[in-house]
Amino acid sequence: MSTAGGIIRALNSGVKHLAIRRFTLRYPEQKLKFVGDGFQFNPETGVGIAGLRGRHILYHEHCTGCQLCSVACEGIAEAIGMVKVNETWKQNKKAIMPQIDYGKCVFCGLCVDACPFYALYMTNDYELSSFTKSALIYTPAQLAIKPKISQDVEIKIDDRGATHG
Amino acid sequence: MTAQLPPGIQLEKVDDRIMTLNVGPQHPGSGHMRLIIKIDGDYIVSCDPDPGYVHRGEEKMAEYRNYIQNIPHLERPVIHDSSNILHPYCLAVEELLGIEVPERAKYIRVIASELNRCIYTLYWLAIYGIFLGHSTMFMWPAGDRELFIDLLEAMSGARVTHAYLVPGGVRNDLPANFEERCLRQVDYFEKRLKEYQAVFYKNPILISRTEGTGILSRTDAIRLGTTGSVLRASGVDFDIRKKEPYDVYENLDFETVVMKEGDSYARSYVPYLEMFESCRIIRDAIRKMPKSGSVRTKLKPNPKGGNEEVYKRVESGRGALGYYIVSNNRPEPYRVKISVGSFRNLICMPYLLKGELLGNMPSVYWSLNYWPVEADR
Repeated sequence: MSTAGGIIRALNSGVKHLAIRRFTLRYPEQKLKFVGDGFQFNPETGVGIAGLRGRHILYHEHCTGCQLCSVACEGIAEAIGMVKVNETWKQNKKAIMPQIDYGKCVFCGLCVDACPFYALYMTNDYELSSFTKSALIYTPAQLAIKPKISQDVEIKIDDRGATHG
Repeated sequence: MTAQLPPGIQLEKVDDRIMTLNVGPQHPGSGHMRLIIKIDGDYIVSCDPDPGYVHRGEEKMAEYRNYIQNIPHLERPVIHDSSNILHPYCLAVEELLGIEVPERAKYIRVIASELNRCIYTLYWLAIYGIFLGHSTMFMWPAGDRELFIDLLEAMSGARVTHAYLVPGGVRNDLPANFEERCLRQVDYFEKRLKEYQAVFYKNPILISRTEGTGILSRTDAIRLGTTGSVLRASGVDFDIRKKEPYDVYENLDFETVVMKEGDSYARSYVPYLEMFESCRIIRDAIRKMPKSGSVRTKLKPNPKGGNEEVYKRVESGRGALGYYIVSNNRPEPYRVKISVGSFRNLICMPYLLKGELLGNMPSVYWSLNYWPVEADR
């Protein structure tokens, strides 16, 4: 193979890509679609349910304040602390619930694995940036809110290449 | 001018001809490490690698956490290859605690590890391209990496640092229609991979810069104790997936890629060819995988290991990756030693760079498949 021929072939394979649609995801306008409603865990079988590990969701009606999620997070990120809540639930005598600091959380999801009462799951919400550090600390009331998400773009593959929608 | 020096401080003697050059520890061209290079004109006289700038004490940290809590921090040294760095840990802990792994989980682990190997190799290839001034080869692998990140995201729920493999299996089963989606994207990726040939590997400019530089002979490769793609590029047929098969690699159909040249070109070509083998493994694993069944053995909370020690190793993107774990009847390991391929391959640097042109330093250095963070642990 001659040197000039090789260089022309290399340039040619790059030039061909001018006619191909771009693969890049245009993020704020387009958002990737994920599997399911986020990572969940079934304590009966001991196996998780596939999904994105984003921000947590806390079901107050199931939480017993057993602190197992907080214990699981010790030594990993120490992001979960138990706080008093002004609610009265039959199963939660101590009235304590987890509060999560997303400045520390590494999104490993081992707290979800630790919860035996179907109270703590993860959601598809990953846009958590804020201007202050204190705004990253989510109280039990904030964690109970279901996130509003519009994620619909998937990788499409056809003869002309792959694109994001 | 001879100023009085404080006691204990000496001035370095400066030679007329030989100049000392510090490459790093700032990022461009070196990663988080320093190469102390002595040059005579344009030729390198000696090279002394100085790693250790990103030492995090992973091994000591592991002594204070139980076997499950160790998972997230142990994958931090190589976030692009996080399944492969957890694989030997899981194998070792399983032997220590006497856990049986379900058959389906073994296949899922192999798929996760191979997808991760591709992600790592593409990232490495992107940096190799930009080191040599080839910006197309930075964009293409970095873009195509998204195909595999997308698959692992569907599988594990995280783009990097998956924390997916656990002692006893995997965290969760595959999502619905995953097999179909995986095969479609792997097929497309193989087609893309072939396009890299003309633009990069058969490009005369790349060949002239890498062929014949930094030659590591077969005997030297064995004598210096290199592993992984560096060893295979020097003509040694050694792959732990073949020689000491773990999980289900013995049932799967793939070849070991071996090249005889031992130069920078061969060292950069072997990982590229291995990506085709990884695609083959993924396809074969999906075909042979049991269609249903358990994926995780339930563990007792805070499991305790006996009075034993275990050593397990796997083939990672950078060579042999082993864990040596000692336990003493406690929920935490007594000692964890991580043996990584990057550190083994770094020892070649002084031998390969002697007598080379300074301009060949980046291509030789990065062809060693070296990941500073992993080497420092």
